[in-house]
Amino acid sequence: MSSRPSSSQTSVGSGALSHAYIQHPSLRCNVPESRGLFYDDANRLLICVTSSQVFSWETATFNPDVSPSVDSIPEGPILSIRCSLGKKVIAVQRSDCEIQFFHRETKQTLTHKCKAGSESILGFFWSDSPLCDLAVVKTSGMDLFACDSAMNLRLVETKKVNVNWYIYTHESRLVLLASGLQCKTITGFQLSTAGVVRLPKFEMTLATTESNSKPIISPGDVHLITVYGRIYCLQVDMEAMLLHTYRFYRDAVVQQGSLPIYSSKLSVSVVDNLLLVHQIDAKVVIIYDLFVDSRAPVSAPLPLLWRGYQGSDTSSQQENEGTESSTSSENIVMYEDAWTFLVPDLILDQTNKAISASSSDRSSLLEFLQRRKLEANKAKQLCLGIARTLILERRPATQVTQAIDVLVTAYSYSVKAGIYKELKNEKTTATTPTNDGASPDNERGRASGSSIDEEEEVEMNLPSGSADEQQESQLSSPAISPDELYKFVFASVEEAMVEESDYLVAIITEFLRSISAEKLKVDLNIYVMTVRLLAHSKRFAELSLFTTNKIIEPSKEVALQLLESGGQNLRVRKLGLDMLRQLSLHHEYISSLVQDGYYLEALRYAQKRKVTSVRSSLFLEAAFASNDMQHLAAILRVLSELIPGFKETSEYYTFHGLLNETSSSVAV
Amino acid sequence: MGMASMNSSGESLKLCVFDLRRGQNEGQELDKILFFYPPDVTFSTQLSVIGLSEGLITFTRSVVEKNKEIEAIWRVDALQKVLKEVHSLFVMFHGSVRSLLDKEPSGGLIRSHLYPFITDYLNDLSVGKKLQLPSFRETLKERGTVQMLTLARDAALEVQSLVGVLDSCAGTLRCHSVILFHDLLVSTTLSPDDTVDLFTFSVMRLTSNALSSGTSSWSYLRKGTSLSQTSSRSTSPQLLVSSDSLPSGNGNDAGRVIRPLQHNKWSKGKDGFLVTDIWGKDATPTIWLHQRQERVHLLAYQHKYLTLVLLVPTEAIVNGELDISFVKHQVTENASAKLLKVEEKLSKGWGGENAYHVSGYRYLLVDNDMEVSRASPPGKVATLAKETLLAVNKLRETVDAEKSRTKEEKDMEICIRAKNNAWAIARVTRGKELYMALEKASDTLLDATDSVQSFSNRYCNGTFSMD
Repeated sequence: MSSRPSSSQTSVGSGALSHAYIQHPSLRCNVPESRGLFYDDANRLLICVTSSQVFSWETATFNPDVSPSVDSIPEGPILSIRCSLGKKVIAVQRSDCEIQFFHRETKQTLTHKCKAGSESILGFFWSDSPLCDLAVVKTSGMDLFACDSAMNLRLVETKKVNVNWYIYTHESRLVLLASGLQCKTITGFQLSTAGVVRLPKFEMTLATTESNSKPIISPGDVHLITVYGRIYCLQVDMEAMLLHTYRFYRDAVVQQGSLPIYSSKLSVSVVDNLLLVHQIDAKVVIIYDLFVDSRAPVSAPLPLLWRGYQGSDTSSQQENEGTESSTSSENIVMYEDAWTFLVPDLILDQTNKAISASSSDRSSLLEFLQRRKLEANKAKQLCLGIARTLILERRPATQVTQAIDVLVTAYSYSVKAGIYKELKNEKTTATTPTNDGASPDNERGRASGSSIDEEEEVEMNLPSGSADEQQESQLSSPAISPDELYKFVFASVEEAMVEESDYLVAIITEFLRSISAEKLKVDLNIYVMTVRLLAHSKRFAELSLFTTNKIIEPSKEVALQLLESGGQNLRVRKLGLDMLRQLSLHHEYISSLVQDGYYLEALRYAQKRKVTSVRSSLFLEAAFASNDMQHLAAILRVLSELIPGFKETSEYYTFHGLLNETSSSVAV
Repeated sequence: MGMASMNSSGESLKLCVFDLRRGQNEGQELDKILFFYPPDVTFSTQLSVIGLSEGLITFTRSVVEKNKEIEAIWRVDALQKVLKEVHSLFVMFHGSVRSLLDKEPSGGLIRSHLYPFITDYLNDLSVGKKLQLPSFRETLKERGTVQMLTLARDAALEVQSLVGVLDSCAGTLRCHSVILFHDLLVSTTLSPDDTVDLFTFSVMRLTSNALSSGTSSWSYLRKGTSLSQTSSRSTSPQLLVSSDSLPSGNGNDAGRVIRPLQHNKWSKGKDGFLVTDIWGKDATPTIWLHQRQERVHLLAYQHKYLTLVLLVPTEAIVNGELDISFVKHQVTENASAKLLKVEEKLSKGWGGENAYHVSGYRYLLVDNDMEVSRASPPGKVATLAKETLLAVNKLRETVDAEKSRTKEEKDMEICIRAKNNAWAIARVTRGKELYMALEKASDTLLDATDSVQSFSNRYCNGTFSMD
């Protein structure tokens, strides 16, 4: 197996036209006298072997400059190599009847052999199921072994099946055993933390032609993928030029339709829950989103590109001069024969830019973007941009409403999921064996089947990568909070839409309805804005309805805006005054009353509430301006009682003097 | 032009519409009369009533103070509201009286419109054979205002969302809408004046309660629901309108006078839209919006107790009924899901006819700015003693007089002790009025005002609180 995996990583896409990119620079393993490259998907290790040494690179946290760890093992052929889940034991398949185990710390060695002649070993993998630690697949079936810390293998169970070949991914914990002349009869087992589940046997679909009446399925034609927590099997039917999809449920395998094939060679990757089908001959990749029922691709086919690779720019990596055959980095040929596509996402990454330009249904596009986990920030920015554009282009309100609902629901869901996940994390840590060393026996019994039962969906329990992975993705979720929607969508379009305020108000109403349905809150400035917009289009009756029904939530800011907008309409101004009073904003209420000429009412209110913060001259000036000397006299009297020492102020003297000048008949 | 009502001891009511600019010459006085009820009165009586009314109008123009000798069972303001209401409704359907007069100076056109219109209107006020005008018994009601349903925020948002969809049912030209639940207003996009007119008409003829004839209404607007049957049985001949006896209106295109207030002419179609042949077979009614000075098509849709009145600008209807059916289609297509949701939400929160009863209180709340009122349910008001009601009526007269005297909005509080020791209390503050009757005879004034205070705090956001 000679492959050159690169890892997917997020970064801003280059300007080249492509949906999918290979991360550049790639991880290079230049090991002298390399005898082969292996990928240990359970541990996400890239393993390079020489005759007596094992070099392994971590790919989970991708870093092209990481140095490998090195182990020495006795010389001998290596058909395959995998580390135990705690990485304490290295297992090497030496031949079709022998597997050797090496303890990395104790240097202990163990050899496991099968009955020579009657059966042969097809391969093996490590498991974290409570039943067993190791599964060895042979032509006669599958042996499940428990393995303790002293590296003693104990046969736990044997599943008798005639096996031609098998495939397994650690991601799905699913092994598919192929039997029959055409290798189309499939027996599956899931070795999850909940135990070993036998799937119903099923037949794969194979078209026949005159030239090929008995086509045979090879292991390279079958791919196990997991998207959105669902497990699918994809199977190439070359005669029909179709890629059949099967979805696994706990008690059923259901064919889910087929995707067209445009190449005699084909492979798949999964990035961010999207299925990437590499049409190798055509040198293009087609992206599908299996979440939606439609089997239409989310984008037009486009070539796969290197990300970050720029012409002849020699990379800063110096440690080449190696022997690895396919490391000649500068002459890049896409889809070399030697390429292997590894589950789930090695090699590929995608950006959203080209997709957003090529999809026309905005709300499903938004849904799509909200499901993205990689490049979450970018997806988020795109969503905000789309929402803004929808409004600015004055799309039908129903369309915009749909889009807003999508965003609000996605946010609400992510908030709820966040809480849910905290609980789930605890559960995960409690039930998932820590795989600490080769001593899984200790906690095995604890891992009950509950995790399957608690999943509401009938689909199979998916041993998700790890809680950490989810944590990371949550932190970088594309979800948009109501406040952000207000700030980056509504507030930012207000100026441009001021002449379309009817329309904008309708959209805002839908937004408020949407967040209210999800019991969310939003920046109160949106209410200030709504008042402004309704007043601008002189929809005073509705403004009143919005306020009395509390669609516009009361606040000081809203009240002040009502007072301001009420400059054109006394009714609206009264709404503002009422709101101030109801919010007990005495100072503002009194000042506004005086401003409206209700200085007596204002003073009476001030007297009753013992509010002294309003300038006394306000009342006096208002009364003086109305030329009502009796009022002025009354106000002077009330103020004298209300404010200690008022009679000593210059104000008192001024107005008292004025009062005496104008009318000597009024006594103070 | 004037409109006057007069009556003596509540027995024979006379209602007339006349134009002072007409019939100025000797021998042509009859030309002044545009409408007279009852129609079977001699012309000389008609002329004398009009002469008296003329005199009264001139008199009240010069003397602001009202005639205080009017019997306490009537309240002038309430009677005026009736005249105002029939006038507003007429204008909503037919345009201003003046414009019809200008169209045909001989007066034939306006007479042919006024006659059936006012007669149909009066039918609603009659009980048995008698016309019943708002007396002191209805003093805790306010004609010419809208009664609203109180909505929770989430319901209000759903309603507003529905309104948003209705807005755009005719493409880019905005449609106005008025939504009612039972006989209460849920939402409107019209000005308060137009809302009152359309609300009044809807409660009279369109709401589910109005359609199901025979149902007794708790709204004062449909007092005479049984009336229409009475008139069809011809027991009340003076209220019968037979189209052949009508003076023909030359100015009318159809050669036929439309009677928008005709009884028993609306029904619910299979598609949920209300249908009528008042405007002709398959013709959609149009009304005149005062604030926008435009004519609009009126479409009414009903789902259970939810009635939706959609007003489509006439400019949006180019191809007649074809465009109308397009708009209808838009409504069913885009709004029906929201409509069901709104109906469901409102039904869940519906407190019944006595929802706004506050035990121990009999009250009327009026918001003059929004032209909205709320009152104790009629059934509860009916339990008040006659003395109490008369006291409240007197109280209202006093407030009316005070209001017309000062013109500007003033805060005031007036308390009256009735003969039966009940309290009638009014509080007025900047456009809002609260009238209350408290019948616990033992109560002191302090107790009574405390009760008003707590009512204000609890149900009026403290609007009338004077602590």
